[in-house]
Amino acid sequence: MAPAMTFFGSRRVIMRSLGCLLPLVAVLITSSPALAHSENGAAIDFAGGFTHPIFGPDHVIAMVAVGLWGAFLGAPAIWVLPVVFPLVMAAAGALGVFGVPLPGVEVGIALSAIALGGMVAFAAKPPLWIAAVLVGAFAVFHGHAHGAELPVGADAIAYSMGFVVATGMLHVSGIAFGGLSHWPAGRVAVRAAGAVIALIGVAFLVRSI
Amino acid sequence: MNKLVMNKLLRATLLVCLLVLATPALAHSPIMGIGGVFGGMLHALLIPEHGIGLLAVGLALGRQQGPASRAGLLIFMAALTGGLVVTAFVTEPALAADVLLAAAGILGLLIAAAWVPPVVGWPLAAITAVALALDSRPEVTSTEEAVRMLIGTGIGGMIALAIVTEGTALLQGDVSRTALRVFGSWIAAIAILDLSLRAVTRIATG
Repeated sequence: MAPAMTFFGSRRVIMRSLGCLLPLVAVLITSSPALAHSENGAAIDFAGGFTHPIFGPDHVIAMVAVGLWGAFLGAPAIWVLPVVFPLVMAAAGALGVFGVPLPGVEVGIALSAIALGGMVAFAAKPPLWIAAVLVGAFAVFHGHAHGAELPVGADAIAYSMGFVVATGMLHVSGIAFGGLSHWPAGRVAVRAAGAVIALIGVAFLVRSI
Repeated sequence: MNKLVMNKLLRATLLVCLLVLATPALAHSPIMGIGGVFGGMLHALLIPEHGIGLLAVGLALGRQQGPASRAGLLIFMAALTGGLVVTAFVTEPALAADVLLAAAGILGLLIAAAWVPPVVGWPLAAITAVALALDSRPEVTSTEEAVRMLIGTGIGGMIALAIVTEGTALLQGDVSRTALRVFGSWIAAIAILDLSLRAVTRIATG
């Protein structure tokens, strides 16, 4: 008996085609997309977290300044300041993540570069607790700014790890450069770096107001 | 080869593609396809939350004196074993990873402060162990495979913890102690950020 003909051809051909197409459709439906990015285009993996602080020059100079100042002040400030900063930054970042508003964030970030760079440039040596409070206060602005920009998505732990490690690396680079302050010429170089950071902070301040 | 055989081959190929591409619902499998004891060991070592937890406990115990450190290791081992036994019979609690991160964060703060007395460190080590065990339930259908993976998780977790603890105990000098404080602050900061991101994601996704 001849197979029944339809508009598209014989029923057997249609059934065979469907038999091939259905698994193909199933494959297309079930194959998971590469979720390396969140809906707003920001990467939500370790690399995304790692590059987040590094691609913000206002953050970079302030974090390097923390390391510079810590090295300049010597022990115990050399570890107290880099310990205080990420802890306060993370707490403030949590506030930013939850959408708690904080006015004058950009001004605060610019002021942090001016103040911390100025401390290094003028070789200021306040008591440890004042230095820690100052660094902690400025870390609030940096943390809140980062937290408010953090993408909501999967792999929060990888993003957080990248973010914190990058911040720490910036501190370490500041400490490494600040280590030059043991020599007279290096001391001048470190103070000059502090002055440059403060000047860049002024530029950011002018832009933000 | 006739058309019927070709069609069957094509369907079979597509079915294989489907099976290969369809990702199983493994919430946190480090390397898909590796199971058994070795897969369980990798589970304990390669899941970031578990790694952070083990690192925090190891750094905290490594800073304690010899007998206190060894007692902490035993407490962790007992809690991990008990937790893994429970895990074999119950479904994975939703908040186990959160508790694990919270404990790691507190331990990180204590490490940063260079103050980890046994009366605080031991309970936190036990909480971390139980949370790690409860978060390690393998998503496999076979009970025997699940038990093998849980045994591997226990072995892997204990080996990793022993290495970190003993390595930390060997660290002497101001630079090493400073590095430990900084690592502690990083662990705490990661835990705070991760917990807040998890909470917001949970709220956003209902």
